[in-house]
Amino acid sequence: MRILARQVRLETRLFLRRKDDLFWTLAFPLFFIVLFGLIYGDIVWDFFELRAIEYILPGIIVMALMTSGIMATTSGFAEERERGIYRRLSLTPLKRHTLLGGQLIQRYAVILVQTTLLLIVGSLAFSIQISGNLFWVWLVVTLGALCFLSIAFLLAGLIKSARAANGISMIVFFMLMFLGGVFFPNEMMPEFLRAFSNALPSTNLNDVLRAVMIMDRGIGEMWRELLFVGGWFVVSLLLAIRLFRWE
Amino acid sequence: MRTIQQMSTVVTVRNLSKRYGGLLAVDGISFSVEEGEIFGVLGPNGAGKTTTIEIIEGLRKPDGGEVSVCGIDALREPERIKELIGVQLQTTSLYEQIRVKEAVDLFGGYYRRAIPTSTLLEEVSLTDKRDSYVSQLSGGQKQRLALALALVNDPGVLFLDEPTTGLDPQARRSMWSTITGLKQKGKTVILTTHYMEEAEQLCRRVAIMDHGRIIALDTPEALIAGAGLESRIEIDHPSETLRSLLKQAELPARISDGDDKILLHTKNSSQVLKEITRMAADNDIDLESISVQKATLEDVFLALTGRQLRE
Repeated sequence: MRILARQVRLETRLFLRRKDDLFWTLAFPLFFIVLFGLIYGDIVWDFFELRAIEYILPGIIVMALMTSGIMATTSGFAEERERGIYRRLSLTPLKRHTLLGGQLIQRYAVILVQTTLLLIVGSLAFSIQISGNLFWVWLVVTLGALCFLSIAFLLAGLIKSARAANGISMIVFFMLMFLGGVFFPNEMMPEFLRAFSNALPSTNLNDVLRAVMIMDRGIGEMWRELLFVGGWFVVSLLLAIRLFRWE
Repeated sequence: MRTIQQMSTVVTVRNLSKRYGGLLAVDGISFSVEEGEIFGVLGPNGAGKTTTIEIIEGLRKPDGGEVSVCGIDALREPERIKELIGVQLQTTSLYEQIRVKEAVDLFGGYYRRAIPTSTLLEEVSLTDKRDSYVSQLSGGQKQRLALALALVNDPGVLFLDEPTTGLDPQARRSMWSTITGLKQKGKTVILTTHYMEEAEQLCRRVAIMDHGRIIALDTPEALIAGAGLESRIEIDHPSETLRSLLKQAELPARISDGDDKILLHTKNSSQVLKEITRMAADNDIDLESISVQKATLEDVFLALTGRQLRE
């Protein structure tokens, strides 16, 4: 326990000193919420009977989850692995699950901080009504974190080199973002893309989050989408465990 | 043959083998390391040195053989070994964004007992760098930090894999004196190197490896003596009197006569030197420039394999 706490502290310290991680996880999502807030102002999207910015805030939260859950995690792990850091650590009595636990806890903490920041900025600067139950919001965000972290470790298992991991996680991130209904509803997409989009974890998470956070729907109404995200989580997790590599 | 659990034996390796595809990287080697000695594994790149010590450290699994460290079966109980040994890998990578002091604290925290960080940084002369980031260190400083991390749990046995490769001569000497200091503290040190000077300077015993096998194992002096190699005595600008005296004297040496020097090849350099100085004293000859070059481990390797240690 003491060592796990120490690992979390280490990972936090590393995170705070990595400028690129700080940019992607904190500055990048905040930049987007401010940008879209200014662009759309009070414009209302009729088919949702929502202000555009209200539609977009949950999407930005999902995007933020993916910057730390997928991008930073995949490339960070692949890089530390490639540089032989885990190899050196394996000579010490540090257990590998403690090392991994420290990373996961720290990532999750960042995700909670990101979400909180976005909620605060969204409601204060753009008077977005967070009418839903915050407990459900937290639960959905946690499920999203689990799902994306599993995808990250699956990618890190599939991809050997740090360079490739960096590039591919970036592609996955952008694909999940643009096709995931983050910036525009996937109802705007052509038919064939929409089917693909509907199968993505980001799209489904986005829909659930918007429903419980903005539209004040019960979480039970969204069981189909939740099941989808849960499915992505379980399958990615199982594959990630199978393909996991420390060296 | 020694038994595995002899009192003064710290590391025992028996019939160790490791195969990578079609290549036998380690080919059934056996040796043991005594408590308190600096044991060198010398050989060219690709000889199997690193594979061998990484198996002992628990980083790699062998295909066959036994390894015991401090009386513990290292292959069965690698976790128990970790508290007892210290390892400096050929290249130690660390998180670049942590400070020197933080790195030592971090590693110390993984062990049941740890040497205080300030003491350790003093020992490897990194005290003035304790607040620098790892990324800001020079190659030599990184090596010394790696050594500090290997020492953090005050281990009885240290494994140093090519500790001075890539260092400039000054950094190398400083590393040598640190390693000698470790021996004086009673630590057992197992190091690999492809520098024969390093093995000669530091090691009590040296195992010479080539193509996955140990082709010789003894003290550097015994290896050189055993290979039956000649030393070379060189006299620059000898006077004519000395030239003829040397040729007339029946020295146990082959003499080759050059224009401005004489070379004497001998297996018994001390006797030949004695004769020459006596001759010079009797005949009032100045021996202005005389030098003796003893055979080195490099020559031993050449004699054993027909190849240079470093191609």
